[in-house]
Amino acid sequence: MSVFDIISHQLVNGLVLGSFYALVALGYTMIFGVIKLLNFAHGDLYMVGGFLGFLSLSAVASVVGSDWPGIFIAMFLSMIAVGCIGVVIERVAYHPMLAAPRLSILITALAVSLVLQNTVLSLTGGQYTAFKTDLGFGGINLGSLFISYNQMVLVATSGVLMIALHLFVTRTQFGRAMRAVSIDMDMSQLLGINVPVIIAVTFFIGSALAAAAGTMAGAYYGSIWYFMGFLIGLKAFTAAVIGGIGSIPGAMLGGLILGLLEAFGTQIPFIGSEWKDVFSFAVLILVLVLKPTGLLGKSEQERM
Amino acid sequence: MKVLTKAATAGALLALMAGTSVLAQETIKIGVLVPTTGSEATYGQDMANAVTIAQAEINKAGGVLGKQLSMVVGDDACDPQQSVNAATKLVSQGVVAVVGGYCSGATLPTLKIFGDAKIPFVITAANSTKLIPANPGNAFMINSTGDDQATKAVEFLGAKGIKSIAIVNEGDAYSQDLATLTQKSWEAAGNKVVDFETVNKGEQDYSAIVTAIKAANPDAVFWTAYYADGGLLIRQLRQSGYQGVIAVGDGSNSTKLFDIAGKAAEGVFAFSNPTAEFLPAAKDFTATYNSQFGTAPGPYAPLTYDGMELIADTMAKAKSTDGAALITALKATDSPGWLAGAIKFTDKNTLARSNFIVLVGKDGAWARADQ
Repeated sequence: MSVFDIISHQLVNGLVLGSFYALVALGYTMIFGVIKLLNFAHGDLYMVGGFLGFLSLSAVASVVGSDWPGIFIAMFLSMIAVGCIGVVIERVAYHPMLAAPRLSILITALAVSLVLQNTVLSLTGGQYTAFKTDLGFGGINLGSLFISYNQMVLVATSGVLMIALHLFVTRTQFGRAMRAVSIDMDMSQLLGINVPVIIAVTFFIGSALAAAAGTMAGAYYGSIWYFMGFLIGLKAFTAAVIGGIGSIPGAMLGGLILGLLEAFGTQIPFIGSEWKDVFSFAVLILVLVLKPTGLLGKSEQERM
Repeated sequence: MKVLTKAATAGALLALMAGTSVLAQETIKIGVLVPTTGSEATYGQDMANAVTIAQAEINKAGGVLGKQLSMVVGDDACDPQQSVNAATKLVSQGVVAVVGGYCSGATLPTLKIFGDAKIPFVITAANSTKLIPANPGNAFMINSTGDDQATKAVEFLGAKGIKSIAIVNEGDAYSQDLATLTQKSWEAAGNKVVDFETVNKGEQDYSAIVTAIKAANPDAVFWTAYYADGGLLIRQLRQSGYQGVIAVGDGSNSTKLFDIAGKAAEGVFAFSNPTAEFLPAAKDFTATYNSQFGTAPGPYAPLTYDGMELIADTMAKAKSTDGAALITALKATDSPGWLAGAIKFTDKNTLARSNFIVLVGKDGAWARADQ
């Protein structure tokens, strides 16, 4: 492999990884935008999304097969279900805490994370579940660069979801209301915006995006387990911070940047791959030092 | 019926442990130091079961030196404190030899107790390299140690004509240790380690590592950690079109690897301690175990059976049950034909030749690769 090959390969790897980070980071950032909460249970919604996607796929596989069409249907079902779970979590765990200090609600988020993890742990016995699909190994060769069809579908799907979200936030009534709530919740209420509904919609969308990522990750990597949301939750949070927490384009950018950093971080000469996280987090620190609000974050007011 | 047999065995064990058996004076007592309670109880029970089978067979064939063997189980609970108590108790009960030892941490402090009492101790599962320097000379390890796995890996891959390897570990004590040991002995054999990678446990995406490995272009990739992440790595290596040999350490020889890696696990080599299902010599043992205990023998049953047989055999050879005589005779052991192969000791009382076996992924299950 020439240096150019390695770079182009790592570019593809970084894009795939970055799409997952970006989808999960979006939920972090949207929820932070409306209620200023770092929802640490978000990575676990990704995990629950993976499991519900798996169950949905098992249910529909006999009719539509378990190639991409089946996976998309499973993903859609999982998104709806996890979106609803997100709304329920907000109503039950966060809504009563909205007036409480931010630290209390943060601790509630950690508790929700533990509840989700341990529920799945007790249901699965902590075992890895094989996410069996009929996805092939095929792909196209561009010179010596091999890109699998699965990678292309993954990146494209994430792209479509992100564009849809962007249009929703910038072009619809709901989106405008959402932005208004993120700027000033009390004022929005005075102007007649139904704030609880907007918050619920935000949780629904954020959770559904995590579920989409979870289902695709399960299908792509081939196994799921109760702890799979932990690491990606941390990474996605990092991505959201790099991009500027509260900013939707920032989350997308942060996710892609983190994915690429990690891919290229394994390739730094003379130091081993165990340093790749050190490398990524060093960049995070650098970003925060130079631009404390993150790349696309604004220092105040408008957050979404 | 099985329940009855179990109950009867348990009853007999209890009677012997209490030392109330009227036959006590006429039998030769062999201590069994295993965890029968606590987190590792399943493995300890499995080992005790193997000794029970060996004891019954030896006694049926007339015993040793004209006497019957009896077993005294000491429960170490995989706990260093409790193992010291259990070992002291075994010594005071007058056992002439001890077999067992599952948890390395719990086995370690008992070496001195048995050493001071000049009682030979055949260790059949515990295999930390820390046990080797702590051995006062009375302990004999018939399970291969971490060093042996590295040696086996180097030997096996070398015999396949492989010149360059990539080693991937997960950064924990076990997998890193195996990775560095393998690296050392692979390079000592005059070959090259072209890539040495450490991954994060639980990270699903190993594509960046896969690209790095492919860029280094090794003849083989050796994964030293556990099956869950190993399965993902193997899958991603094969998906990316890597064609070389893939080998995994004994943390990955679970059949679950096939669930996770799917077809990609076909042809993958795995190292394993000798388990009954892959030992042709253990066929009868497996059948007996199955009918007596209603389940398949666990991972250390064949070695523990060998341990008990080794003790009986050595007593017959030495024509004595004296500790010092037995230790001398054990040191001189050099015989093939045990369930797990040949037994011969180094001057450190570890196996002269590792009994690790090599498995290969075939049709979604493991099969022997080195026979």
